Amino acid sequence: MHKLLAIALVLAMGFNAEAGKSKTLALGAEAPVTDLEMKGTDGKMYTLESVQGEKGTLVIFSCNSCPWAVKWESRVASIGNAYLSKGFGVIVINPNDPRRAAEDGFDEMVARAKALSYEFPYVVDPASQVAHAFGASRTPEVFLFNAKGKLAYHGAIDDNASDANAVEAAYLKDALDALLAGEAISVSETKALGCSIKFNEDS
Amino acid sequence: MQRHIFVLIALFFVSCNAPETDRASSTEQYLIPATAEEILKHVKDADARVVLVNVWATWCPPCVEEFPDLMAVYNQYKDQGLKIVFISADSEGQADGAIAFLKAHGVDFPSYIKLKSDRAFINTLDPDWWGAIPATWLYDSAGNKRHFWLGKTSREQFEAKIRDVLMGGGQGVL
Repeated sequence: MHKLLAIALVLAMGFNAEAGKSKTLALGAEAPVTDLEMKGTDGKMYTLESVQGEKGTLVIFSCNSCPWAVKWESRVASIGNAYLSKGFGVIVINPNDPRRAAEDGFDEMVARAKALSYEFPYVVDPASQVAHAFGASRTPEVFLFNAKGKLAYHGAIDDNASDANAVEAAYLKDALDALLAGEAISVSETKALGCSIKFNEDS
Repeated sequence: MQRHIFVLIALFFVSCNAPETDRASSTEQYLIPATAEEILKHVKDADARVVLVNVWATWCPPCVEEFPDLMAVYNQYKDQGLKIVFISADSEGQADGAIAFLKAHGVDFPSYIKLKSDRAFINTLDPDWWGAIPATWLYDSAGNKRHFWLGKTSREQFEAKIRDVLMGGGQGVL
């Protein structure tokens, strides 16, 4: 009995240790868990399917608590609002467990979405399920799907978190513009430092 | 200019700590700006049986929470051949805060602060890593990557893998 308990504990610890190491969605893949309902800061329920746009769909994992997400959040607001009006679906998903980061509580999310004038949904990822399904590992992390629902760009918003005026490569904006123009995306995967997602460890 | 200041700081601490016996008890340390290539070379050249490489930042709460466990692991296993390479992902403007943090946690060996763009740094350090921190790698004496932890990790989790490598076991090279 003790042996079984020990094995169960080891397995549980192993699972937690592996949290966040799901395989990352590959370019060309379709979005997973598109029917999973997520609560938005406006009180409405959203799914990835419900926010799909005619030109493509922008999914950003972000949060309130990560200093790097905070550095980029005004750019998330301006890009999100601008491309929403150009026919893209836009959603920002907070995958953090608020028990591990109090700033990521629902009320705090409501306040942040209002302060930043998000015109798109800012939603709670229930038990970090969407982040796990995407294989997302950090905030902020961008997944941009084209009009056919295939992953066309994955990575960072741009190349300078600290200073929006010093950006040399506006990766996300360039990718959105390329999709709008029906052109190939020149840089389709990028990397940037960010906060590891504070996964719900019960999931 | 900033880089030169860091190098001067580093040289100052090296010269202050010259006697090897004094260095062990010193609480002074330094923060060397380095590229991922330079850090990987340091790992490969380290005269150690096990090397932990940890990327952290003062702005990263889970990194800060994890840090005491890493130091506890270091103090427990340093006599058995463990070395730790700390790499700060702070910006150069935050270097003073990083140095103060390292001092406060008793780091008495050279540490590094990231140079070059995130993208180049991440891809060189580990092409399989997307840049989330804290991130920690375990290398064996031959410089082979043996384990990778993403996110805040416990002392017990670090110790289990370190013991595997010290005992010559564990799973193969990643």
